[in-house]
Order: sequence, then C-alpha cells, then structure tokens
Amino acid sequence: MTNTTERRTPSYRMAIFFYAFMTVLVLLYSLPSIGVLLASLKSTAEISEVGVWTLPRSFDLTNYSEAWNGGSAGLYIRNSFFVTLPATILSISLGVLAGYTLCKLPFRGSNALFVFFVAGLFFPPQIALIPLFRLFNDLGLYDTLWALILIHVAFGIPICTLIMKNFFSAVPTAIREAGIIDGANEWQILTKLMLPLSLPALAVLATLQFTWIWNDFLWPVILIRSNEMRTVMVGLASMKGQYSVAYGVQSAMAVYASIPTLLVFVFFQRYFIRGLTFGSVKG
Amino acid sequence: MVKTRYRWIVLFLTPPLLIYLFFVVFPLLSSFYYSFTDWNGFAVDYNQIGFANFEKLFRDPLFGKALTNTVLWTVAAIVIPTGIGLTLALALHGRNFIGNLYKSLFYLPISLALAVIGQIWLWIYQPDWGLINTFVRAIGHPEWSTAWLAKPQYALLGVIIAWAWQQIALSMVIFLAGLTAIPQELIEAAEIDGANYWQRVRHVIIPLLAPASVVVIALAVINSLKSFDVLYVMTKGGPFHSSDNLAMFMYNESFQKYNMGYGSAIAVVLFMITLAVIVVYFRQSANAEHLYD
Repeated sequence: MTNTTERRTPSYRMAIFFYAFMTVLVLLYSLPSIGVLLASLKSTAEISEVGVWTLPRSFDLTNYSEAWNGGSAGLYIRNSFFVTLPATILSISLGVLAGYTLCKLPFRGSNALFVFFVAGLFFPPQIALIPLFRLFNDLGLYDTLWALILIHVAFGIPICTLIMKNFFSAVPTAIREAGIIDGANEWQILTKLMLPLSLPALAVLATLQFTWIWNDFLWPVILIRSNEMRTVMVGLASMKGQYSVAYGVQSAMAVYASIPTLLVFVFFQRYFIRGLTFGSVKG
Repeated sequence: MVKTRYRWIVLFLTPPLLIYLFFVVFPLLSSFYYSFTDWNGFAVDYNQIGFANFEKLFRDPLFGKALTNTVLWTVAAIVIPTGIGLTLALALHGRNFIGNLYKSLFYLPISLALAVIGQIWLWIYQPDWGLINTFVRAIGHPEWSTAWLAKPQYALLGVIIAWAWQQIALSMVIFLAGLTAIPQELIEAAEIDGANYWQRVRHVIIPLLAPASVVVIALAVINSLKSFDVLYVMTKGGPFHSSDNLAMFMYNESFQKYNMGYGSAIAVVLFMITLAVIVVYFRQSANAEHLYD
C-alpha cells in the first residue's frame, strides 16, 4: 500500500498539499457533528448571545443533566434498548434458520423462496404502514413496545437471511456430512457445528441490525402514542415542544441518542463496514 | 432419511416464513385492498369505492408536487452521493494511518440516525445563529442570510443536502470496498502502458467499479424512496407542501387527515415505482456480474 501512496503523490510538496486539503475537507464535513457537541455545552443565554459556532466559555454539563432529568432521556433510552436488543437477537435467529435451510438443505423451490425473502429488502416500509397500523390495533399492541419489536424482527428477516445464506455457502458441506455420520441431527449441526463458525457473520448482522433498529424513527412515530413508550429518536423529535428554544438541551439529547450506535461503530467498525459493503464486491 | 430431512426443513423455515408473511408480505399486499376503500382509520365500516382514490390522486396538485419532489430527490441521490463518494474513495484509497483516520471521520454519519441528522442540520440552516447565516455575515453579505427552510424554493434542497451528508459516507464506504477488490496488476499494466492517473481512473478503475456502482446507485435510489425521518424532523414537508415527497404526503394524508384509503393509493404508487427500480436493478447487476468472469 505504501508504494502506491508514493507513486500517486510524486513529491513531498504534493503530499503536504493533499493532506492539508483533506484536513480542511474532513473538518468541513465534520462541522455538523462538531456544532451539536458545542451547542450541548452551552446555555441558552450563551447560544442566543454568541451562537453555536464558538468554543463554550466553560465546560458545563447542565444541558446533559436537564435532558436526563427534565427531558426523560433515561426513559427513552431504556425503551430503545428494550426494543433494539430483543429485535436484533430474534431477527438474526430467524435469519440463521432461514439462511441455513435455504443453503444447506436445498429443496425444489428453495431458490425462489430465497428471492421471495430477499425481495423484502427493496420495498419502502411505508407501503405496509396503513395495514400494519390496523393490524397492531386489532392485536391490541398499538402503543406498546411489543409492536416495535415484532416489526423490526419481521423487517429484519430479509437482510439476515441474505447475509446468513451467503455466509453458509462458504462453509464446506463436508462439515455437515461429518456431523451426520457422527449421528447429529440438523439442529445439533446448526447450533454445535455451524454457529461457532458463523461468529463473523453474526457480528456483522448484530452491528447492522442494532444500528438500524436503534435509529429507526418511522415505526415509533406511527405505532406509539404515549410519552412513556417513546423510543429515544421520537423522544428527541418531540422535545421541540417543551424545549423549543433550549437548543443546548436538545443537543444533549441528540448526543445521548447517538452514543450507543457510535460505540458500536467505534468498537465493531470492521464488522459494520463489512455489512455495509456486502454485495458490492463479488465473492 | 428423506422424510426427516423435510421435517427439519419445515421446522426451520416455518418461524421465519410465518412472521415474514404475516408482518411484511400480507400488509404490503393489503395496501392494494385498502386503496380501493374509503377507510378512515377508525371506523368498523367502510365502502368499496373502486378507482375513486386513484382518480382523485391523479388530479391532486399535492400529489403532483410530491411525485416531482420524489423524482428530484432520487435524481439528486444518484448524482451527489455517487460523485462525491467516488471522489473521496479515490482520494483516500490505500493511504496510511492518517488516511484511515480520515476514512473513519467520513464514515461517522453512517452510524447517526436520520432523525439526529435532521436535528443537527436544522441548526446549520437556523436563521439567527445557524452556520450558513453566520458564514454569509462573516464574509460581509448579511443580505444573503435568510430563513432557509421557511422558503419554499430552498426547503427541499436543504433537506436533500442534509440527507446526502450521510449518503455520501455510505457511497464512499462501498466504493472503497470496490477499489480494494480491483486486481492491482490491471492498474499497474495500464501504468506501464503509459496511462496517466486520470486515464487510469477513467478507463480502468471506473469500469472495474461497475459492481460497486450498481450497489451504490441502487441503495441511493431505494433510500431516497424511503426517506421520511429527515424530512419529518426538518420541515414536515412544508412550507406549503413545497418539500413533500411521496412518503411524507402519504403520512400526512393517512395519519394527519386520516384518509387511510387515499393514503393506501399513494402507497400503491410507491410500490409500483419501487417495482420498476427493482427490475432495472436486477438487469444492471446481472450485467455487472460478467465483469470478473
């Protein structure tokens, strides 16, 4: 890799110019994120006086405590975890079942069934909004976190099936055959032989699903009404009423809402990126 | 033996298939059914009204506006993130640790929620101390400052830029993966033949990036059709419906005005557009497949 760098930037001066230019670009690109951090450390008075784009006069965490105590950040974050964790685990489990069966136990029509599963990836969820609104009302699950869990499990099946099937197709079929010779049934083969090998794929899916479900906004807007059931994204959007000009408190809430996915991003970036780039490179 | 095999297939496939059918496929198709009714979201009774919703839809100027904006959004989604994402990927591909740090900083918006991104960008456009107005005042043109999102001519563009901020990062990630997959010998061969950097990019790298480009463009199109969060947070489709897209228009009709039958007709139109996109996508990705064979 280093020799390509040298070739592309023939002189020392070119390299300096390149990095200076990229630094400016990165800074510009990061300005929105920097702004929200600055605003979260400033009082409303300070913002109205000097605006957001200066360094705060003091390191003041009042906005964070206000967002936590007055803005119920704790409640919203708890709700988000209550939806995201089970939905992530369940959608991956179902994807493992479907992906394994469609890959290692092929039958007449299994390819068509795979396409049928994956097709769900393409359709905007808005198309199913009204029927699902009605369905959850009829089931008595409107305004409960269960509705959100069910939705995310169901809408996660396409991507989980796709990635798991693709992963299992790289696992030698001989492993399954060896298991059968040893007298294992399909469940034992899947859980004892295949799953330990699938940890990278499971990590990819866990990071993707966690991030998407945590960040979802549409479904809680449609299916949740009461403040006690709000997830953190809807909680953030609904703050504008109570804290209409308290930009600092809103910023603190935005930071709270982003911390879990940012942590996933920082610690599992490799898996996250692998999931995002899935399908763009052959093999 | 064969019998137990089928028993396992049924056992393993039933849970995912049932949940998928019940909560995804069946609701998706039910939208067609509701689009022929005048259901208001609450009443037990409603009427079958044939194609009345669709007739109303195609005469509704708000639908025309939302459809135009959706198309504009999709075109912008194909052009902006793809172009900038590709440029950034070419600039940062194969760099040292500083390059990797920059890559991570460019990736960052991907992990942010669009609801958060909308919130952040509200403050870029904020009239009093927003970044843009602060900037134009700083360069001595206070008369250029305005309430950007309150102006019908800027609102949609403002939201699309905020959305593209994240989409650029996504495109860049995918192009970087595509660049890594290009065999180094091909680029070196072009170099030995005397091709300069631009010629190599134009005639070797970009054609070989075709599989990644298909994915980038498909994702951009699908994400633009789905886009709702950022619009909801920033303008709610306003002012005066100037930034409505189909998803927002459908939300307003269904969940603000409770015209669920009418809203379902909008959903059906969205379904048809998506279907057209899928057909094109599978054709293109089938073409791109031949590249490495």
